[in-house]
Amino acid sequence: MRQPIVIDNLSKYYNRFLALDNLCLRIEENEKVGLLGPNGAGKSTTLKILCGLLRPSSGAAYIDGVNVVERPEQALSRIGTIVETPEFYPFLTPEETLSYLGRLRGMRGDGLRRRIEEVIRLVRLEEWDTVKIGKFSRGMKQRLALAQALLHDPPVLILDEPALGLDPRGVVEFREIIEGVGKEKTVFFASHQLVEVAQICKKVAIIDHGRLLVYDDIAQLEGKYHSLERAYLELTGGPFE
Amino acid sequence: MSEFERLKVVTRYEFLKHLRRKRLYVILGLTLIAELAVIIGLPTLGEGYPDDIMRMAALLSFGAALTSLGAVFFAGDAIAGEFEGKTGYILFTNPVRRSTLVMGKYLACYIAVILLTLFVHVIICISLLAIYRHIPIETAESFGLWVLYAGSVLSVTFFFSSVSKGAMGATVITLVFIMVISGVIEGVLMMAGQPTWFLLSTAGDAVFTVYGGYEALLPGGTPHDMPPGVLETPNISLCILAMAIYLVACFLLSIWITKRRQLA
Repeated sequence: MRQPIVIDNLSKYYNRFLALDNLCLRIEENEKVGLLGPNGAGKSTTLKILCGLLRPSSGAAYIDGVNVVERPEQALSRIGTIVETPEFYPFLTPEETLSYLGRLRGMRGDGLRRRIEEVIRLVRLEEWDTVKIGKFSRGMKQRLALAQALLHDPPVLILDEPALGLDPRGVVEFREIIEGVGKEKTVFFASHQLVEVAQICKKVAIIDHGRLLVYDDIAQLEGKYHSLERAYLELTGGPFE
Repeated sequence: MSEFERLKVVTRYEFLKHLRRKRLYVILGLTLIAELAVIIGLPTLGEGYPDDIMRMAALLSFGAALTSLGAVFFAGDAIAGEFEGKTGYILFTNPVRRSTLVMGKYLACYIAVILLTLFVHVIICISLLAIYRHIPIETAESFGLWVLYAGSVLSVTFFFSSVSKGAMGATVITLVFIMVISGVIEGVLMMAGQPTWFLLSTAGDAVFTVYGGYEALLPGGTPHDMPPGVLETPNISLCILAMAIYLVACFLLSIWITKRRQLA
């Protein structure tokens, strides 16, 4: 089985603070894996290293077998990302922004135009596609972030708190989009929303203090701890009464 | 897709950003006001236009100095803004070399500044033609030197933008570096009779002297009680060399730093 995401003994120091401690994780093709952990556990650091935004202190990360640090452009061509709460250039419209990002990825012409229309429709921003992003709410920017992550139809999605800032309807729509387009994609996403993770993913990795605590099927964890929530609380903070 | 094609894409959309921002039009308005102040102000408030076309051309080229100020405002947030405003999370996760992104941003800024400089020089040419029925060849030389000077200012701004956490900080540091630090060092060196050609502020002064040096610009020539060396017309060739060094060195440094910079 192919493993589009491989994290191999990844460590990351911020000065003296150890954010990731020899983290190892392998995600198989078309798997949906949730990355859980308390604040400061190392979730965002992990995803940022996979996206080439941070360099690891030691270890390696691979996307489709391509080392992210050594060949970042090749690795990034295979992924769609949402990292933290993304911001866009306020002077551009969603259509212009997606056109810019699409062209950077080698898309052009009618194909690009059609794809922009598709993803804008998918995230329900049709009425806003010619409005400057400076006027957008946080939730609308989050929708646009999802659109840009899906624009080039990447085989791997790396998402950090992708539903942050969305209203309840937006959260449901986001889940439906990921369930729909994500059928043939490998999805690795960090979230604090256990319910959201359980609805989208089959497996979860729980980390704390940069270390992997568990990486297993949600069903297995629910069998062992009675619920995903209980598993999370016990693993990250000791026995839960 | 080649990196050159990506460079064209980055340049195109970065230039579009400049067209959409108010600062381009603010600088455009300020340069227009500066030119009009000379064209209208001289006959209205003084004794009319100078007899010497070179002196008039030099006075009009003060507007071009503002375009270099524009370079600082365009470029201050070019790199720092991606980190501060978190737009880098979208831009840097694309399969594009950071060097290409910096080059594209630089080219877009440079095109905007060149267009502003061209705008000023078109006004200069029209004004000189209307008043003196003649355009001196030095106007073209002035245009070339202002473009080179703006490029060196742009590179210095890119350097500060690549090391700064915030766009405002990068803009302020650049202005302080060029106008205050470089100016103070220039003053001290001039008083001490030492060469100043390697300073960016001297290069800026040198551009004005294509129309005949300080002696030709100042009515009645330079004051006689000045210490030797002060108000001595800078060596234009050495200043061109200095501007070229600033342009290349600071630009390459900004690429190197941006490539190494992490987005935590």
